[in-house]
Amino acid sequence: MEELINTIKQQIIDALNLEEMTPDQIDNDAPLFGEGLGLDSIDALELIVILDKCYGIKLKSPAEGKEVFKSVNCIADYVQKNRTK
Amino acid sequence: MGRAISITGMGIICAIGDNTKSVLDSLLNKESGIGPVRYLQTIHTDIPVGEIKLSTDEMKLMLGIDSLRPVSRTSIIGAIAVREALEQAGVDNISNKRVVLISGTTVGVMDVTEQFFERMKTEPELQYLPHSNECGRSTEEIALFAGIPSARCCTICTACSSALNAIMVGVEMLQNDEADLVIAGGSEPLSRYHLNGFNSLMILDRERCRPFDETRAGLNLGEGAAYVVLEKDSAKSLAYIGGYANRCDAFHQTATSENGDGAFLAMTDALRMAGLTPKDIKYINAHGTGTPDNDASESAAFKRVFGDDLPDMTSTKSYTGHTTSAAGAVETVICVLAMQNNFIPASLGWEKPIPGGVIPSMGRNNVNLDYVMCNSFGFGGNDSSLILCKNRPELKDNLLPEESCIRVAAQRVVSTKDELQELKDYLSPMDTRRMGTIMKASLLSAFAVLKETGLQRPDAIIAATSKGMLELSTMFLEEIADNHEEHLKPTLFMQSTHNTVASAIAIRTQCHGYNITYSQGEDSYSWALRDAEHLLRNGLATNVLVCAFDEELLDGRTNVFQAESRIYTI
Repeated sequence: MEELINTIKQQIIDALNLEEMTPDQIDNDAPLFGEGLGLDSIDALELIVILDKCYGIKLKSPAEGKEVFKSVNCIADYVQKNRTK
Repeated sequence: MGRAISITGMGIICAIGDNTKSVLDSLLNKESGIGPVRYLQTIHTDIPVGEIKLSTDEMKLMLGIDSLRPVSRTSIIGAIAVREALEQAGVDNISNKRVVLISGTTVGVMDVTEQFFERMKTEPELQYLPHSNECGRSTEEIALFAGIPSARCCTICTACSSALNAIMVGVEMLQNDEADLVIAGGSEPLSRYHLNGFNSLMILDRERCRPFDETRAGLNLGEGAAYVVLEKDSAKSLAYIGGYANRCDAFHQTATSENGDGAFLAMTDALRMAGLTPKDIKYINAHGTGTPDNDASESAAFKRVFGDDLPDMTSTKSYTGHTTSAAGAVETVICVLAMQNNFIPASLGWEKPIPGGVIPSMGRNNVNLDYVMCNSFGFGGNDSSLILCKNRPELKDNLLPEESCIRVAAQRVVSTKDELQELKDYLSPMDTRRMGTIMKASLLSAFAVLKETGLQRPDAIIAATSKGMLELSTMFLEEIADNHEEHLKPTLFMQSTHNTVASAIAIRTQCHGYNITYSQGEDSYSWALRDAEHLLRNGLATNVLVCAFDEELLDGRTNVFQAESRIYTI
């Protein structure tokens, strides 16, 4: 699980181009949107692309992503349960 | 508003018809043009579109263009619509007049570029093809194929409000006596590029769109071209221009503000210019794309402007699809057809109101539409509203434009990567995470001139660019080719439109004022300057920020770039 969490963090940093940020600077439980890391609706779409491209998980709408993308832990949990690759 | 500006001719081609007569018939018969993809080459055949029911070759034949010659569909459909508009206007002695063609587009010649993109890398003989983002080229081709090669060309890129802004600029050129005859509108064909772009933003409905319906799930991309011929003090008139406004939401590159600030300002300022109250408006052709975001925000703006007395309002995008940069002109033509034929187009497919939202009209006949409002809103918050009048409007005294000198209050050029370090004084790494080099350079130049002049925000923002966001557009083209139209990065698409720079400056400075982007090759800057002078001399702004930017690529990435911002004052 820890390995998956770190992989996901690096994928987020790369996809969102979070220059000057390292995986250990992202708290596993901190909110990614709004108050926490401060991501927005376009970042959510990028996360949907990561899920599809890297884990074969297709979300139908950004609304579906709201629960999944609450924190890195939530994403890792969801990926572990639903991944097809 | 000085002299009466008339629409004396109209031309249109879109999913519901290839001329004004057939478009009118489809509207009256409640026939939608949305359906499966027929001509566009794409893997996304499950996405319904509003396609013109003619192949590019069939339309080349209509215009007498050699079928082997690669010509953009933008230019072809544009020329068909311009021809009809000129024919309807019945203009005599056009060669003796100062004719200006003002066209809105974002796709430009991209549909040709994307067809040859892969081959262009290895076959040097294909390099003559318009391998670029030069929107202005399509406008020049429209003039050529429509038989007005000597017309002055001007291209407006404000995403989905481009065509409405083209009409506004045309009206002002006539008012200022800079032209005798203006043909204004927009042209946007379907392209793999923007179908995939909108798809990456997850705002395309898999069924026919349902604007203002509770179950709406996105827009259907459409294609079309429409133009109006504008003349002043004409004896003949299909409709008159009453008022208009171009404002900016200044909220987010793709999202709309919850209260519809930009839309609210555009509608109220258009009403003010027309000297009308909200009660005077008899029909609104809404922007109404069918996306959850747009319709909620436009509804909020309607409530702010019209209270509980919303006039008959419909979105005709369930007929035509969202014709993006052409939408403002397609819908202006539809508004004039509704006025001439005394009907309100029905809201196709609408069933359930958005909770607490507005209720669109299900269509009516035998209505007298004295005043009609047409809304067009674009990415980056480029929001515009136009009011049309059936009868000649009462004119206020025309104040003579000031003759005083325009001066440059500050100027800054950014052209080296080292300089971009300065941007850290203004923005955090989080703020700049999506920005390409040309965006960073443009913003830095804009912030620097604002700082130098002590302005928190300018009154108006005008951008000028020949090739726009070349690097990001190329990266998105590469993704489409390499990933076979799947797993595309929305970040690349949302930053690839020409108006990204002007809207980013507006968002960062919270400038809700006039906001426009010109793209006409080497003439881009002179068009921007013309507009800045117009705003300053007519008292519409006390200062204008003009930002010119362009980049050249090497192996697909920014190599040489230059951004220059100036603050003009009077």
